[in-house]
Amino acid sequence: MTSPPPDETLTRRIPTDWKGQAMQRRIAARYRAERRFRLIGLASILLSAGFLAFLLVSMLGNGLSGFTRTEIAVKFDFPRAPMVVDPAMLEGGNADQVLAGANLPVVTAQAANAALGEGGDALISSNAWLTVRDAIRDDPSILQREAVLSLPASADIDLAAKSQGTAQAEAAYARLKQGGHVSRAINMPFLTASDATDPTQVGIWGAFKGSLLTMLVTLLLSFPVGVLAALYLEEYAPRNRWTDMIEVSINNLAAVPSIIFGLLGLAVFLNMMHLPRSAPLVGGLTMALMTMPVIVIAGRNAIKAVPPSIRDAALGIGASPVQVVFHHVLPLALPGIMTGTIIGMARALGETAPLLMIGMRAFIASPPGGVTDPATVLPVQIFLWSDEISKGFVEKTSAAIIVLLLFLLGMNSIAIYLRNKFEKRW
Amino acid sequence: MTEQTTPSAPPKMAARHVNVFYGDKQAIRDVSIEIDNDHVIAFIGPSGCGKSTFLRTLNRMNDTVAGARVEGDITLDGENIYDPSMDVVQLRARVGMVFQKPNPFPKSIYDNIAYGPRIHGLANSKADLDVIVESALRRAGLWDEVKDRLKDSGTALSGGQQQRLCIGRAIAVEPEVILMDEPCSALDPIATAKIEELIHELRGRYAIAIVTHNMQQAARVSQRTAFFHLGTLVEYGVTSEIFTNPREDRTKDYITGRYG
Ligand SMILES: Nc1ncnc2c1ncn2[C@@H]1O[C@H](COP(=O)(O)OP(=O)(O)O)[C@@H](O)[C@H]1O
Ligand SMILES: [Mg+2]
Repeated sequence: MTSPPPDETLTRRIPTDWKGQAMQRRIAARYRAERRFRLIGLASILLSAGFLAFLLVSMLGNGLSGFTRTEIAVKFDFPRAPMVVDPAMLEGGNADQVLAGANLPVVTAQAANAALGEGGDALISSNAWLTVRDAIRDDPSILQREAVLSLPASADIDLAAKSQGTAQAEAAYARLKQGGHVSRAINMPFLTASDATDPTQVGIWGAFKGSLLTMLVTLLLSFPVGVLAALYLEEYAPRNRWTDMIEVSINNLAAVPSIIFGLLGLAVFLNMMHLPRSAPLVGGLTMALMTMPVIVIAGRNAIKAVPPSIRDAALGIGASPVQVVFHHVLPLALPGIMTGTIIGMARALGETAPLLMIGMRAFIASPPGGVTDPATVLPVQIFLWSDEISKGFVEKTSAAIIVLLLFLLGMNSIAIYLRNKFEKRW
Repeated sequence: MTEQTTPSAPPKMAARHVNVFYGDKQAIRDVSIEIDNDHVIAFIGPSGCGKSTFLRTLNRMNDTVAGARVEGDITLDGENIYDPSMDVVQLRARVGMVFQKPNPFPKSIYDNIAYGPRIHGLANSKADLDVIVESALRRAGLWDEVKDRLKDSGTALSGGQQQRLCIGRAIAVEPEVILMDEPCSALDPIATAKIEELIHELRGRYAIAIVTHNMQQAARVSQRTAFFHLGTLVEYGVTSEIFTNPREDRTKDYITGRYG
């Protein structure tokens, strides 16, 4: 049998029954699929939000107390104390030196014993005399009278105040509390000091500044180089085997484990170029190697997304290729490039392994003054503190994580602000 | 030689035996044609016959297409534009182009017009530039509609206004030739009428070549018409004659709507 001629099939065509049962079933199935998809989507959002909330709640719960410290009020009777300080010597810039030789640790210990009973000096931090020194420096007139100063408590008492101490410390803390000696205050030194061996003395500023300097070096290096590489590859490079190979290599580079960049940094920057060990400069260089491929890939995609009609328009009125790139393509691609940059920078900010390789894990008790000074960075500091045996470091670790998250938040906010500022719609 | 054209003045642009290839594929075969100052020339022909390709060889926009290759001579005022001594950036300022899809820059209306004069250093001062922008917008027939919102984005205009903005942008650099590639194909009839009116007004001041898909439009705006088919120039002559009395059967079939 041959198939019927086409016009016959046309006339025999059954009109679609849009209201029939099969159609109704199809519509119902479509609605079901729609609802199902929405539910699944919502569930994934809730799951991610849940993880995020868990992270934040546990970090804040553990870490917020790290920003506070327990202080013990101790009465000082300076005129009667075993120290000799000429108030006139405190004028000018060398008050700290004068006071360092003024027997303050002993004065402080005696005052603590007098105020808190025998063994009182063990209840305050071993560095409490620094607080006394600062108080005298700020107001030398207290040397002429009695004064009550709030001194940081020892690590044991501080832990007991946060109900994590030993039974002995808890008992001592309970006694202090009964005597009305203790109070809770913001731990300013945590925000202004650097690493220390005593958890009540540690600060995050050194690591924060180290991260800041490292990120600065990374950004200054990887952003221009990455953007120029992306522009060249997209706008100028011919399409051939070589550029294909470069493209594959860059994509691979973006996926190389960070520890390998660390080894590379160690071999090239430290062993061959003899740059200073542990310095933000070397950390930044190593991170730049890691961040560059991410910026190149994001940059190329952003540049590809610029409509060719804009290039035509500019070329068509006699703009040179460089003018087309810098007047039109780059401004339009910038928001996308910045998104990629911030992803790369955020990754670099959280990196630990490569920085361990180039020696940024050293114990560094003062903040770096410049990019060539020894420094550590926030994630390494977190790693180091989490490794400490002393229990007081637990909350400091969480507090450092909060600082790291805030750093990240700040960085991302700036990026979003810049992106919105540069974004053009058409 | 091509007949009908009055040889009063030397042609603004002339193409002689031009072949264009995309890789191995030949898109234009042995086309010779002249564009002069006094007449608007329309390129017509079915889709894919090479009208855009030919237009784009006239200001070397095809240079940007990988694998595109041009043979033959194309001259502007007697100078070969494919000669190595020809500066292609300057050529494109002298031979401006308006594209099929309106493509204003995502910048303000003012900056859209001012961009060309700025990069070519045509204005010495802000006041100069203001004058150039106003006169370009006036000649593009857009001034009255946008004079109060020069700071608004060019992309916020309607399609027809955008296309007139693009024409204004092209004439702001004072080109000698304006090439238009189906400038109205994305526009409604009213906007189209405005552009056609504009072409009438620009005629004589600039040599104009326009690609169009629309027979009536070719008849309305042009004095010369060139009919392309499969990459060859089938017929070229005075518009009224081509439309009333075509010499070639293929032309006749096309303009009577037998194919397209
Ligand atoms: N960039 C390109 N690469 C390869 N072939 C092209 C390219 N542009 C156009 N062509 C081919 O050249 C021929 C002419 O195209 P085009 O000039 O755009 O025709 P028209 O504008 O008359 O519709 C078509 O066959 C088209 O497929
Ligand atoms: Mg075309």
